[in-house]
Amino acid sequence: MKILRLAVLDLVRRPKKNGLLVFAIVISVALLTSLTIVSNSATSSILEVVSKTGHTLTIRPVITAGIDEADKSALQNLTISEVVFGKYIPESAVPQISRIYNKAIREGWERKGGLVSNPGIPVISIEPPTWAPRLYTKAVVDGHEAIVTGIDVNKEYFVRFWWNLSSGEWPADVDVKNVNTRIDAMYVMGAGGQVTVEKPRYRVDEEGKAVYDEKRRNSAGDSDQVARDFAYAHGAGDENKDVAYLGGAYASARGLKVGDTVTVESRRFRIGGVLEETNSADDYMVFIPLIIAQHMFHREGYISLLSVRAMCPNCPVGDAMVELNRNITGITAVSQLDVAGVQFDFFNMLYRFLLAVVIATIAVGIFSIFNIVAGSLYVRVREIGLLKAVGASRFQLFRIFLYEHLIIGAFAGIGGFVAGVGMAYVLNSLLGIGSVVRIVPSVLWYALALGILSSLFAIYYPAYRLSGIKITDTFRTQWEV
Amino acid sequence: MNAFIQTQALKKTYQLGDQRVEALRGIELTIAQSDFVVFMGHSGSGKTTLISTIGGLTRPTEGSVSIEGTDIWRLNDRELSAFRNRKIGFMFQSFSLLPSLNVLQNVVMPVIFRKNGKREKTDAIRERALSLLAGLEMKKKIDAHPSELSGGEQRRVAIARALINEPDIILADEPTGELDIRTEREVIEIFRAINSQYRKTIIVVSHSLSWLESAKTVIIMKDGLMHLDVPDPVEALMGRACRP
Ligand SMILES: Nc1ncnc2c1ncn2[C@@H]1O[C@H](COP(=O)(O)OP(=O)(O)OP(=O)(O)O)[C@@H](O)[C@H]1O
Ligand SMILES: [Mg+2]
Repeated sequence: MKILRLAVLDLVRRPKKNGLLVFAIVISVALLTSLTIVSNSATSSILEVVSKTGHTLTIRPVITAGIDEADKSALQNLTISEVVFGKYIPESAVPQISRIYNKAIREGWERKGGLVSNPGIPVISIEPPTWAPRLYTKAVVDGHEAIVTGIDVNKEYFVRFWWNLSSGEWPADVDVKNVNTRIDAMYVMGAGGQVTVEKPRYRVDEEGKAVYDEKRRNSAGDSDQVARDFAYAHGAGDENKDVAYLGGAYASARGLKVGDTVTVESRRFRIGGVLEETNSADDYMVFIPLIIAQHMFHREGYISLLSVRAMCPNCPVGDAMVELNRNITGITAVSQLDVAGVQFDFFNMLYRFLLAVVIATIAVGIFSIFNIVAGSLYVRVREIGLLKAVGASRFQLFRIFLYEHLIIGAFAGIGGFVAGVGMAYVLNSLLGIGSVVRIVPSVLWYALALGILSSLFAIYYPAYRLSGIKITDTFRTQWEV
Repeated sequence: MNAFIQTQALKKTYQLGDQRVEALRGIELTIAQSDFVVFMGHSGSGKTTLISTIGGLTRPTEGSVSIEGTDIWRLNDRELSAFRNRKIGFMFQSFSLLPSLNVLQNVVMPVIFRKNGKREKTDAIRERALSLLAGLEMKKKIDAHPSELSGGEQRRVAIARALINEPDIILADEPTGELDIRTEREVIEIFRAINSQYRKTIIVVSHSLSWLESAKTVIIMKDGLMHLDVPDPVEALMGRACRP
């Protein structure tokens, strides 16, 4: 027989007390584990947003000012962050938006003095912005209401460079190999450090509608484009162009896959691809060509959202945001970086608050652990006296307690981890952070270490006291207890 | 008489709040090897304190205890516990057994605390435990747990456990307390056999007069002092008890 065996036999003889101890530690470990997991998950999804969209600016209609009664329901329908229904930006405003944006970027950039060059030689070129428009509607898709979003696939793909297909293919004219070849124009640094920008992408016609600039390389560049778009949108349908892309969550919820068809209102679309989930509203959307959406929902010349991806290092997107918000009424420009920052601050605050709560809980927990252990130890005073009498040294006694509590701690650590993972899911959905719960394996080791440490901590002092106890005191308890 | 166990000016003072209790007030004791000593005396006279001090369980306030020439209270915790483990078999009135272990495990329990050297085969230890239990007519109960045993059976297991490491000295504090007279006689008989057959030194503390006929030496404890060669121990004890 070994000391370890003695410890194990002793453990199993006190299932209630040891169960209670395990339970107390499990709770502490679970609280810390879940909080760690949730905060890790939230932080990494926020950081992911930042790294994905850090240089992206979105422009949407103002939704607070000038809403009449009829629009209020539209406002109530407003669901997810940037997704606004029933309020639009005219495409005719795009040139102005673009102009202000370009100017702000250029000036901000020059002011930063980031451009040092030899006079006359264009040394650096910044890719100018690509504006991706969207039109959000709620429409009936195969008999159920869904968010149908009109997009220009090429531009969308360029701006949302984090988009990937989990299945299917992009249209043939989307250059998936090198999005950077789909540049409309360039900022060019001239002699003396001034930056010139080519004309913006849109031109407004006499009726106030945006038309594509003929010089554009990518938008086919011919003057018939608008007419052809019009004909296409009004036409009976074009098998090659009537292609829808589905958000990952939407596709899996409805069990749709590439090659199936969806019917939006009355027009049939072939599913060209399913997007990987991005943990954003996109996951729940049905994407169809913008011009069809505009026609189908009678919103010709209007869009719900414009996204622009700045293509320079340290682009002064914030400057552009400020300028846009100051100069154009009716729109709100939001830098995703700022959104993430606010989210981050908020979450940090929440995290600190929760941490305080958890630490308070654990303090109480440790106190009760102390009591449980001390209680069970004093019951064991006689046993300890006996063990000492038969020749157990202080160190050997200590080893008995050590083994018992290593075992308890290991069980509690693993149990706490499992419970903590469960709690993380609950906490995550309660907090509505909307991030995916990510479990880093190292958390298990921390949980295990924490379990063992608290178990050992709980034992240390009482065990120290008792293993040094005077033997006569233990006899005394024979008749005094 | 060669001194196997010897105490010199042994004193033990307990501090109870602001009260000092002098449990031992200078004990000069010499015990020869293979002696059979019985301590008697009134409750609180210091018997338990004395044998705990001799057994290396209670540190004296003053004085020394030497066993086979070793001043045991100069040993460190490790050495002293090894000494207890090897040299002394203990028995207490109650709670001599660990409730979590069965009879056989309880008997071999001291072996796990043996320090360096003397690594004995598990089988050999088991054999010895079984033969000890057989000698005490406990072989049928080796799988029982202490709670399933009668008081007398528990004592026998405790005796077997006290003998497992083949100690030279058996220290027993009230080994027959709470036992009926017949069982008490049996236990005393076992002690006598151990003393005569194995030549072990036996030191017993008891209130029971039944021990008197088996004892080679009777020591009466009174107020922390000892009285050797008391002509009539019963009278001595009674006399004290009758005093108002
Ligand atoms: N740990 C202790 N703290 C304080 N006083 C103690 C302690 N142990 C013993 N005493 C005191 O020392 C004296 C002797 O006690 P001891 O236990 O040695 O007596 P005893 O002769 O064994 O008595 P009994 O026959 O009742 O077992 C008593 O007055 C007791 O109250
Ligand atoms: Mg006593």
